[in-house]
Amino acid sequence: MKNLNVAITGLHAADSPAPGVPVARSILHEGKWEGKIIGLGYDSFDTGIYDKGLFDEIYLIPYPSEGEFNVLARIRQIHQKTKIDVLIPTLDAELNSFMRIRPELEEMGIKVLLPNDSSLKMRSKAVLSNFCEKYDIPFPRTKVIFDYAGISQAIEDFGFPIVVKGSFYDAYIAYSYNEAVIYFNKISSVWGLPIVVQEMIKGEEYDVCCLSDFHGKVIGKVPMRKLRLTPKGKAWAGVTILDKELLELSDKILERIHWNGPCELEFLKNEKNGKYYLIEINPRFPAWIYLSAGAGTNLPYTAVRIISGEHVEPLAPCKSGVIFVRHATDMICPLDYLESLTTKGELIFNKSEEKEL
Amino acid sequence: MENYEINQRNFEEEFTISPNGFLFDHVSGLTYTLNKTGLFILRRIGEKKNASEIVMEITEKFEVSQERANVDFQEFLVQAKEFGVL
Repeated sequence: MKNLNVAITGLHAADSPAPGVPVARSILHEGKWEGKIIGLGYDSFDTGIYDKGLFDEIYLIPYPSEGEFNVLARIRQIHQKTKIDVLIPTLDAELNSFMRIRPELEEMGIKVLLPNDSSLKMRSKAVLSNFCEKYDIPFPRTKVIFDYAGISQAIEDFGFPIVVKGSFYDAYIAYSYNEAVIYFNKISSVWGLPIVVQEMIKGEEYDVCCLSDFHGKVIGKVPMRKLRLTPKGKAWAGVTILDKELLELSDKILERIHWNGPCELEFLKNEKNGKYYLIEINPRFPAWIYLSAGAGTNLPYTAVRIISGEHVEPLAPCKSGVIFVRHATDMICPLDYLESLTTKGELIFNKSEEKEL
Repeated sequence: MENYEINQRNFEEEFTISPNGFLFDHVSGLTYTLNKTGLFILRRIGEKKNASEIVMEITEKFEVSQERANVDFQEFLVQAKEFGVL
């Protein structure tokens, strides 16, 4: 298994970090990897590209908005040059493209572990509340809106503050109608409509990263309490926990949604009643996933085992009380890196002949 | 002296308590800092000692009156319950 070439997307680890870098680190965490770890970036300044020693090869690929035909053509080109055995997409916005080209990827011999169409639709922010209502899963009252009238209606029903969210990314807390309108415009101009508006629930934030196999069997779960948040609400520090109630609720959700692959369940523990409320299901590994390797339940590594065809039994619970703290640092790189990415759209690291900087 | 009532939590599995009074709740992920008296009381509760025994031990350990020891013990119980530790 360790001789497989694994391609990973989502290499930009800036203020809203993508999970590609920690996924690569998790795979390498289990000892010497004989295959290649291949980074698929979208921009020559995706920061993870420059993390020397992590990736063997980097290739730039077209954005999903350029159409799956172009994405597929580029992957085919890369695959001809360097064989890809396993591909792990890590971004929400690219998932639909990869799901659509899955048959062609499999035909090429590139294996993926992706959710099916109906599961992916069920977890979308616009319809998640229906799913929760159907299966009696606590969820904040939600409205899916297309215009300003929807904002007024939500304010009337929920009061202030309200949470204004995009279909893919972005969430803001609005304390007035005018603020809500500003966020509505800001989000819709980037991510389009509809906009999701929710009642604000006060409480501690918890996440559970889960991994299910091709048959929807849950193989591993890593629950985490967020210790520090960025202004965008991203976890900057967290600690693994072991709460049976949270794990049972996660199992219930995954069972009902018939998930395949990695996902992140986001919860708020309501400070009024102590109940966990499901906020979102992200269809990918989270950016804090390296914590799973540190806590002894390495989910990205396990994902590669599953994708490669190995029969994997459910993992033992992770070790609780393990902390991660994110740390921003500067990397120094030769100009050759940028030159190669800009002119050829690729960067091949020669690890044995690295230049002294 | 009436005994105390607390939630039945498994101290060995659900808490890590350092000698310095740092407490980690493995279920909630919350951390607390206990003073010497708090640490002393929580350990005795973990050992399933009853209220009279704990108050008596506080009296001996910290050289305070029984009345004062009882007040400290009761106050600790209230706070710990409020935070969901007990």
